[in-house]
Amino acid sequence: MLLEFEHVSKCYPGDVWANRDVSLGVEAGEVFGVLGPNGAGKTTLIAQLLGVARPTSGRIVMDGVDVVRRPDVARQACSYQPQTQVPVAGLTPMQAVTLAGRVRHGRGPDVRRRAHQLLQLLDLGEWERNAVPLSGGVLRLVAFCMAAVEPGRVVVLDEPTNDVDPLRRKLLWQQVRALADRGSAVLLVTHNVLEAERCVDRLAIIDQGRVVATGTPAKLKAELRAPLRLELGLDLEASSPPFPAFVRRPAATRGRVVAEVAVADAGAAAAWAVGLQEEGAIVEFLLAPASLEDVYVRRVGVSLEEDASAAGVG
Amino acid sequence: MRRAWDSYRLLVQWQFLRLRNVLVLIALIQLALALGIVYGLSLLVPHLDHTSALFLATGAPTLSLLLLGLTVVPQEVSQAKLDGRFEYLSTFPVPRLTSLAADVSFWLVAQIPGTALALLVADLRFGLHLRAGWAVLPVFLLIALSSSAVGYCLAVLLRPQTAQPVTQFVALGILLFSPVNYPLERLPPVVRDVHRVLLWPTWPTWSAGASGHPITCRCRWPSWWWPAGAGPGWRPATGSPSASARSAPLSPGAEWPGRPCGGSGDGPSRRRPGRSASSARRSGEGGRR
Repeated sequence: MLLEFEHVSKCYPGDVWANRDVSLGVEAGEVFGVLGPNGAGKTTLIAQLLGVARPTSGRIVMDGVDVVRRPDVARQACSYQPQTQVPVAGLTPMQAVTLAGRVRHGRGPDVRRRAHQLLQLLDLGEWERNAVPLSGGVLRLVAFCMAAVEPGRVVVLDEPTNDVDPLRRKLLWQQVRALADRGSAVLLVTHNVLEAERCVDRLAIIDQGRVVATGTPAKLKAELRAPLRLELGLDLEASSPPFPAFVRRPAATRGRVVAEVAVADAGAAAAWAVGLQEEGAIVEFLLAPASLEDVYVRRVGVSLEEDASAAGVG
Repeated sequence: MRRAWDSYRLLVQWQFLRLRNVLVLIALIQLALALGIVYGLSLLVPHLDHTSALFLATGAPTLSLLLLGLTVVPQEVSQAKLDGRFEYLSTFPVPRLTSLAADVSFWLVAQIPGTALALLVADLRFGLHLRAGWAVLPVFLLIALSSSAVGYCLAVLLRPQTAQPVTQFVALGILLFSPVNYPLERLPPVVRDVHRVLLWPTWPTWSAGASGHPITCRCRWPSWWWPAGAGPGWRPATGSPSASARSAPLSPGAEWPGRPCGGSGDGPSRRRPGRSASSARRSGEGGRR
């Protein structure tokens, strides 16, 4: 493993635990997702890797070096896109990305070439040399370029797709994948579970500071042994059709019904849905296997519901 | 070393590009501040004598630099902590001191026009005919670095909400209780003793006038700020200076009348025997007039 978190715990004053006994490993050339709800301790975990925060206990080892003791090694090896916006006011995207690459000890001509290439690949050409105030999404893409222009052996991306429009988000995921293909270990923190599913090689789900699940998306979904998900799209004014027995736990909202179907009943469910569509009772339907989001909801949703109900009782 | 220098250069460039739109405004404010100290403080003393004028004229750039380090730098750091810039920049493979040096360098450059013009105006206003000694530049840097280091440390250690009042308190304390714009003797005895303790161990050496240090040899600047004070770099060229004093590359505070140090511009070895600093000052022979 290129990067290993070994039993890392972080406790803030007041007995507030941000991380509890977190153990993870990230290989070179893979995209490793860290998923979890707000306040789960994801960003704190990254801060400890980068030497911004110090673990209460545990080690973070990179290539055999404990970077808790040697934060300079971590800073040399890691390039980072923060969750917050980066300080680029007054700079053109080209200047910002070039400066970041040069400060990371990249060679001038190489950095300029790569900066231009990245900005073009993310469709930011029209802003490349404009120092005008940029939108939040463009700023976030520029921040990504600043981390990717001279990538470290570990590239840390904290919520890289926030505020980014769907088309450029797609381009961004391609570049995230490209970073791993170039040999970097990409540590990706995100809330965007559905999109992460298509990009990450392995992932860990963190809840309340603890790792509650880890593995490949396929493995986690298989472990869930979840039924298929059936979604029906209705006209807004239409009422739900009567459900046959194999459609279980239907939940209707205005214009949409979500239900579960056993894998063995997939054929019957598809035929039933096609019939409804031909009759005009529904507009569209989707019959899909369990997604990473289902895994996430199953792993994290329970604790969130418990917290919510506890707050309601209290 | 090469990498540290490259990082420093790039961070200065980053700072310049980020703030270039407000650079003129910053320079104007520094200018107004320096002029305000020269003119504003002189209003407090209606009948300025030559000594007080010298203190004010040479104290103005010193105070400007102190205020730069103790208010502007911590304000920048606090703001950077609030908007995440401080944490972000600390994740780059750059030594912490390089980052501080880049920030201070930028603000120093922004300060130079104001400082220079303030000295010029003071020179014209009080008819001092100041000349720059060789120590101006290192002393200028030392003041800026020492005050900036204090301001930087306070801003890093304290929360942004706390850092601002604390640094303002420290700046005000230095403004009022450091003998930069007035002689040491005017301070309350306790504060004066604190200054002398802070000067230790070089203070006794200065008093004895026996130091061989190129700057300290003829200077007994009465403040722990003096090694970082701009004052020693400036000396008046008016009056009737002795030939030896005029030829000296640097004859700091000791040459100035009214300085609470008794050495003449000719150095300790040329002091008149039996004349203490205070007696020389009382008789008005402590320096040129």
